[in-house]
Amino acid sequence: MTKHGPLTAVTRAFTRAFTRAYSSFPLKHVTKSNFDSTFADLRAHVRAADFVAIDLEMTGVTSAPWRESFEFDRSDIRYLKVKDSAEKFAVVQFGVCPFRWDHHRDAFISHPHNFFIFPRQELESGASYEFLCQTTSMDFLSKYQFDFNTCINEGISYLSRAQERDALRRLNSRHGDGVLELKEAKDVPLVSIVDVLFSERMKNKLSEWRDGLLREGLGVSQSYGSLNESRGQFQIVFYKMRPALCLSGFTSHQLKLIQLVTRKYFRDLIYVRNEAENPHSKPLVVYADSEDDTDSLRKEVKDDSYRQAEKRIMAAIGFRQVIDLLSTEQKLLVGHNCFLDIGHIYSKFLYPLPSTAEEFAFSVNKYFPYIVDTKIVLNANQVLKMKKSSTSLSSAFSLLCPHIALGSRKCTNAALQSFVNVEIEINEMRSSEWSTGVKHEAGYDAFMTGCVFAQACSNLGIDFKLHSTSKSLIQNEKLQKHINLLYLSWSSGDIINLRSGNRSAESSLLQQKQKSVYENFVLIWGLPSILRRRDIKQCLVKVFGLTSVVSIYRVDETAVFVQFSKAEFVSKFLDLKESLERSNDPISVLHPLSKLWEGGHTFAAGYETYKEICSSPISKVLFAEQAEAIGIRWKTKLIELGVEDTVFDKESKTKASVCAAESKTGKKQHETDDSRSLCYNVINDFHDTEVKQVRASNL
Amino acid sequence: MASLISLFLQRRLLCTRSNVPHNPSHWNVKQVTKSNFAGSLEEIKSHIATSDFVALSLQNTGSFSAAWHRVSPFDTPETAYLKAKHAAERFQVLQFAVCPFSFRASKVAAHPYNFHLFPRDELNMGMPSYSFSCQTSSLTSMAREGFDFNACIYDGISYLSRAQESAAKVQMEYPIHANFVVRPISNPSLVDKVFIERNKSRVRHWRNVCKDVITGDEEPLVQCLRKIVLSSEEFRSRPCMTIDVCSERQAELIIEMLQDFDDLVPLIILAKGGGAQAVRAVLTSSKEDKNLLMAELQSMEEEHNKKLCGFREVIDLISASQKPVVSYDSLNDLTFVHSKFLAPLPPTMDEFLHSLQLVFPCVVDVSRLMNKIGPPRKARNVPLAMSYLKNHFFAPVDMEFPCQDTGNKIQIHGHNVLDICKLFAKLSYVLKIAPSADSDLRNLASTLENNFNGFSTVPQETTDGEISIWRSNTRKVNCSDLVFLWGFRDDITAGMLKNMLQESHTIFSEAFDLRLVEKSSAIVVFWQPGLSKTFLDMMSNSLEVSGTLLELVSEGMKAAGYEIYDRACKLGLWESSLAEALDKATINPCCSFSPSERNLAQRCQYSELMIDLDDL
Repeated sequence: MTKHGPLTAVTRAFTRAFTRAYSSFPLKHVTKSNFDSTFADLRAHVRAADFVAIDLEMTGVTSAPWRESFEFDRSDIRYLKVKDSAEKFAVVQFGVCPFRWDHHRDAFISHPHNFFIFPRQELESGASYEFLCQTTSMDFLSKYQFDFNTCINEGISYLSRAQERDALRRLNSRHGDGVLELKEAKDVPLVSIVDVLFSERMKNKLSEWRDGLLREGLGVSQSYGSLNESRGQFQIVFYKMRPALCLSGFTSHQLKLIQLVTRKYFRDLIYVRNEAENPHSKPLVVYADSEDDTDSLRKEVKDDSYRQAEKRIMAAIGFRQVIDLLSTEQKLLVGHNCFLDIGHIYSKFLYPLPSTAEEFAFSVNKYFPYIVDTKIVLNANQVLKMKKSSTSLSSAFSLLCPHIALGSRKCTNAALQSFVNVEIEINEMRSSEWSTGVKHEAGYDAFMTGCVFAQACSNLGIDFKLHSTSKSLIQNEKLQKHINLLYLSWSSGDIINLRSGNRSAESSLLQQKQKSVYENFVLIWGLPSILRRRDIKQCLVKVFGLTSVVSIYRVDETAVFVQFSKAEFVSKFLDLKESLERSNDPISVLHPLSKLWEGGHTFAAGYETYKEICSSPISKVLFAEQAEAIGIRWKTKLIELGVEDTVFDKESKTKASVCAAESKTGKKQHETDDSRSLCYNVINDFHDTEVKQVRASNL
Repeated sequence: MASLISLFLQRRLLCTRSNVPHNPSHWNVKQVTKSNFAGSLEEIKSHIATSDFVALSLQNTGSFSAAWHRVSPFDTPETAYLKAKHAAERFQVLQFAVCPFSFRASKVAAHPYNFHLFPRDELNMGMPSYSFSCQTSSLTSMAREGFDFNACIYDGISYLSRAQESAAKVQMEYPIHANFVVRPISNPSLVDKVFIERNKSRVRHWRNVCKDVITGDEEPLVQCLRKIVLSSEEFRSRPCMTIDVCSERQAELIIEMLQDFDDLVPLIILAKGGGAQAVRAVLTSSKEDKNLLMAELQSMEEEHNKKLCGFREVIDLISASQKPVVSYDSLNDLTFVHSKFLAPLPPTMDEFLHSLQLVFPCVVDVSRLMNKIGPPRKARNVPLAMSYLKNHFFAPVDMEFPCQDTGNKIQIHGHNVLDICKLFAKLSYVLKIAPSADSDLRNLASTLENNFNGFSTVPQETTDGEISIWRSNTRKVNCSDLVFLWGFRDDITAGMLKNMLQESHTIFSEAFDLRLVEKSSAIVVFWQPGLSKTFLDMMSNSLEVSGTLLELVSEGMKAAGYEIYDRACKLGLWESSLAEALDKATINPCCSFSPSERNLAQRCQYSELMIDLDDL
């Protein structure tokens, strides 16, 4: 393919640049090309900052409709859903905006940065990088003029700590084994006459050169008659203070032959190809004057390539340096409804997400000890209390910071409330007036989040003039009670405390619901598609009584949750389904419940199966397909009252304790694998018993 | 910032200027996005009608998520299909190049179009696709070729598959004009009669009230109130009434009854299951108004169809023309076409071929044609095949195509499709199947049809740049002579493993070949029939295992026959490593297969397999 730059793209980029310049919200866009220089500045800004606001743009949120957040989700399910989202989708933009209080100007100085990031594969490793895009999210981003070309062409790549660790480990094992050392060519018997002739010619050339070196002494300029004749294929250079021949213009097969020849006939010549240094570097034949020198040269080459490979890994870390900076500086991180954001940060830049919310909270707290969610601050406090609907970032911004949102500074004096002033500094240029930026551009969103936070703090009665360092802001008792609390789910008001890993609900009413109610749930999927919720209810009410069914929730078009009033209805229902489906007599066919399994594809199980299905890495669009894909072969999963729960509790407890013991080591992945296979075993055992039962009933 | 961008732009502009070849022969491919789609549709329609063939080329967001998901030489057609199916279901087509062409007397007349697609959810129903995967390396290489992702995502054409379209119509409660069900209903029962009469009086009453309103000159407020009280609905600013029905028969009865009123137009509202859910009667004010409504309905349906089908209309055009479809990697391309534009992919190859044959009766796979004249390794991708052909054969073929007005923009996207046209023309020349006159065309089509029986199983990408000496050891292997080994240490090379096996047991003193599929999994080919069974029996009996083999087994090496691999593909165990997938397949109970599937598996087991060892 020829190289080119499509004109449309250029004109589009041009108009974009133009409009952006026109809208003139000062925002530092960071791509591959200006990352290194920007990072140095950012480091200084973050060090000086009182707090740092962040925001992320992703390629999607939910990988299937049934993975959306529902009211009947238990908090562990909610975590699993966030985990799935963070593992599958990519982060394409990362906004970082340090805020520093300036006493002289009586205002916050902010430095909004907008990083384009893209998970480009910089190092070769076994697996290919892949991410999911949710169509509606992509469409949403395009509505706000997200520049996908910049992201993919110019986006900064990254390695997570786990990826870096693996890469280094791979490098070390290769280095230790010495495979890295001069890839030895296999002894290929010379079959064709051409190869034989070529090898012979090379042998002559090389010995001629070597003899010349020996004859005239090292470092003396000489004329290599025949070498120069051969179309510049040999070039005399120096490699690590030794004379060498640089080979160019040979095919890979010919190079292999040369390598064979040098090894076979010349003890004092070494074939060196340092691909790690530079993939385009040419291979060399180096002269070493003694056995010892040969060994030391080998070692030098080996160490060199090791260092180069190490350097490449370091270079591939890319954007993660920003995350490491935020982590080491231990600044207060401010996000807006940022549980998912933190999940993304953890899985993309640190380690694979742990399997439970508690472990997650524990590990996040280790890297980011102070996180505050503006949504929590806005909701938890009576002074600020606003309608739930108005806590979206943009409406909170225009409500709390009208002086910034509207871009006019005049109302500052007019209003009774004291507004916190914010100025923007980009490339040493400071501005206090600008028009609004593009919403849903991560850098601008981070800026808005920071402004909302600053204003909310001021409204809470925190006086920035008295607090000079970021430490005191963290220790401020008015803020203290909001730090490290995140919404696990906004819709249900489920809050997780990162410091303790405890979960709590916003209202006590919810808390009551938390306990025990999930035993009353039965999950049914693969129902005949014509059945509506009220039809299902009618069927159930006929059998279990009018007050038996509390509610029916739709998971998606193929699945429902039935909430019974008592847990025993669940096991009774599952027993009935099991026995009625097995027998074919008229009584069971006419049974009112049999309407539910008409067609024979209806499955039913308790709440724990829902968890199992949600924790699977597979994501099919329909719930019924998903259940099939994770390998559910049984029709009905019976529950003896209270038995299932204890089994699963025990398992999760042991898991948690083992994990706590292993903490930072990388054994977690291994552990989760084990527990997964344990789950499989459980399923298989179940399957086996079912088969036995079938046999028994057939007898 | 602005200065930075403009600086960057300047640089880009400069590059652009210096890089664009101002070559008059530079091919112009018409780029089609949402904005010029309607116009291009008409154009391509006439081009397809006048051409003999239609070439296709797709640009996808990825092709495989793990090395072993690629179609490899040891795949049977069935497993190759399953792999292609997996890819087609996950990844997305971003560009679809279509090129209707014909060739006569070594002149190829081509009309290339390049459609930019994006599965935008135009109807807000989670269709055509809820989400799709992207392989980073694919996107990066597309970016390197100058692909404009913004154009694709902002202005890409959306579409619905045939299956999705019918589902969407139901979901939208899309009214269908009901003049097609006019056959009189035979002997209505008493119940029917009661049903008819009751509804008839309802309709009559409603119609009279409506007529009164239209004629009477009440105040607007009163009219408004009346509307609320009567809770009357409107359809296209005409009053209408919806009658719920419980069955198809009831719907027919109502429609028949409505025919007694000559100013009512019946519309059917479809239910989820496919039948009618309700009948809507629309009141028209006069004969002219009725005709007007009919015309409106007609155009509304067409417009709706356009919105629903989107790009699929091009596929429908190609299908309706019944012209031979030319593609380079037909298995990959057509699984994508089937899953995106027709219906979800069926579970087996046979069903897929059957379903596809109804839409595209003749498909020509150029890489298979290529295999007739050269080794498969030379046909890995279009440029390779082109250069091979150029060096080895004489095939004078001229490309000519009318320069289309693309507004001076020079685009290289979609040029692959032109290369495919050219390659096909050259191959036809070399293979002496080129049509000299129109009469031969049918002949050609029948020659080519044989190609469709199987798909190429040549991997599309070269694994390494090194070319080793070509040896003619393409041999047929029976699937039952293949054994998979996995779970050994991941630093063991093929040579090491082979040596270890040779030392371990006498059965390895016979000729066998071994290749690594990926790290820590390998495939062994026993050239002597029956030995694979001996080996597997030995592996299952731990007492017989000894020596280096015992060492390997104790390190976790496992072995299984081809059927386990087959099962892993069938069950869709697309784990990131083959070793993991095989592990899961061995654990999984095989009784989940229905008897017919098991037969199929057995048939596969004994089917012969062409293996090119150098390709492994």
